[in-house]
Amino acid sequence: MHEQSLFASVPVHQHHELLQQLAGLTAMQPRHCLERRLIFKAYRKPGMAGRIGASQDLQQGDLQRLNKMLNGNMYYTQVVGPVSESDFGSTAPVDQDTQMAGMDDSKPYDPSSPSYDYERQPWKLEFRDIPEAGTRSAVTSRLMSSATLPRGDVVEAMNAWGYHFITEYVVEGDMFVLNDIAIFLHRVLHYPGGDESNLPRRQLPALKDMALFEKSGSYVLQAFTIVQDGSNQETMKTASQHLFGLREQLKSAVLLEQADRLSLDTRAK
Amino acid sequence: MPITGVYFIPSNPNASTALPVITERIRAAFPNEELTPIGRWGLEQKLLRDTQGLLPSSNSNKKPSNPRYMQFLSLTHYPTHGFIYTSEPEKPIPAPNQNPNQAVPGPANAIAPDHSPSPPMVMTTIPPSSYGTLFQHFTYACQPFWSHRLTLTVPNGIVYEVGDFRVRLGDVRQTFPTARVRGTVVEIEWCGPSVVEAIPVDREDGSFDVGVGAGGDCDVDVGGVGIDLASSAIEESDIDAEYAATASLIREFWGRLGVEAREAILIPNVGREVKDRLRRWKKAGSGADTKVDRTGSVVGERAEEDPDPWSGADVARQFMEVLRFNR
Repeated sequence: MHEQSLFASVPVHQHHELLQQLAGLTAMQPRHCLERRLIFKAYRKPGMAGRIGASQDLQQGDLQRLNKMLNGNMYYTQVVGPVSESDFGSTAPVDQDTQMAGMDDSKPYDPSSPSYDYERQPWKLEFRDIPEAGTRSAVTSRLMSSATLPRGDVVEAMNAWGYHFITEYVVEGDMFVLNDIAIFLHRVLHYPGGDESNLPRRQLPALKDMALFEKSGSYVLQAFTIVQDGSNQETMKTASQHLFGLREQLKSAVLLEQADRLSLDTRAK
Repeated sequence: MPITGVYFIPSNPNASTALPVITERIRAAFPNEELTPIGRWGLEQKLLRDTQGLLPSSNSNKKPSNPRYMQFLSLTHYPTHGFIYTSEPEKPIPAPNQNPNQAVPGPANAIAPDHSPSPPMVMTTIPPSSYGTLFQHFTYACQPFWSHRLTLTVPNGIVYEVGDFRVRLGDVRQTFPTARVRGTVVEIEWCGPSVVEAIPVDREDGSFDVGVGAGGDCDVDVGGVGIDLASSAIEESDIDAEYAATASLIREFWGRLGVEAREAILIPNVGREVKDRLRRWKKAGSGADTKVDRTGSVVGERAEEDPDPWSGADVARQFMEVLRFNR
């Protein structure tokens, strides 16, 4: 799958107005979204790459193929889970049995105090490649994939798959849909109190305690279409033309443009 | 989740498939059973291996390390999810932000202690829509450490019902990297009454469905057998005993056929999900009200909800055990 996008920066004072405009344009109410985003980095044993010297066991062609494979790119990838406002600042479900390693999901529940249960958090693995270089089209185009993961703690599986947890943040925003274009007006929130945790949080702090990543409070407007078959030039072209159409419609309000390719580099060095 | 056993008969130059032999032996051993196929089944497995084993230096200079595997398996009799079984990292990952709590793999398994030389493995189940996506992700974005080695399929398996057992037979074909015949695989499923089936499946909202889905699709009606136990009546040791007892029934069944094969029944971690489910059930039973109301949270994301994401994990392990060819 390919994702084609255009981006715009939206100052905080314009946010409310733009929400109205987008609601009018798309004829829908904004769908408010809160997402936990965990960042994982591909891990490889040190000293693996570049260790292949000449060997009688291998043909030259095999060696080249192997070298290419082993020195291929590795990536950061995100694990994204939707959360609700009531999950923030709530306590973990009442549960004394902390020794239990498996999923503890059903337990006495007091409806007056909402609880956030990390063991039941749904997740998706969201991979984005570095945007394609040298495309003539003026949109950001990148290979992507999105796959549902099991609920609960993903760290054990991710470790086994070769990824380790780096850090996490939260995205808050509003989603609109216009034909084949999704419009996401959002900003990044950081957790308060530094980043000492080596594991995803099991509880979320109060939403008002979350710190703005961009201190001015400005938002990012991302308009994107997802093309199932990125090798089909025809559909790719259609998708970018639709994006350009949206750019024209919003021209008086915001300037949608291609993002800097290297700022969206997901490769792990 | 029914208790099963899996057997694999590698092909040899004289006989590429053991299918006719096994069918004939079943007919001979159970003359009173009407041996007509009741269905079809299929399987696909993709085996990935860590790239370290590919390096020529690793087999000359130093002691070869235990290979690590990632296995993708889909079974037509568990259509709601695919299975991914992955070797754990050998040691805690030397990440800059290393965490000591992470190293503990999971509860030791009393059914079959892990004596295998390869590292323990992590089971994950994912919806079918994600199965191919994740596989592509690993072959694209993880090339430096995962390498796709094999794809095996059972394209045209046959299902028989023999007494209290359901038997799935099929020829295993390798489709990647080259097409060839690998052998014959047999799954034997116990369809009789079982304590394991009496543990209800918990739903997504945390409540428990007593009797629903527990019997699988076996015709032998588990609900009608009259196993109706309180959660307090079943202990984990009962599950171990149940697995051991059923394993001997399956072995006895297989023994009557007299075919030599690689067996996977009481392999490491078999029964783990059943025990987890029992623990959850006990926990729910101890609380007064088991209803967990999480209304309003991301309804749209629940579209592809799996009623029992862990069903079939045991048989998936068994298939992957016999089909984990070392290459």
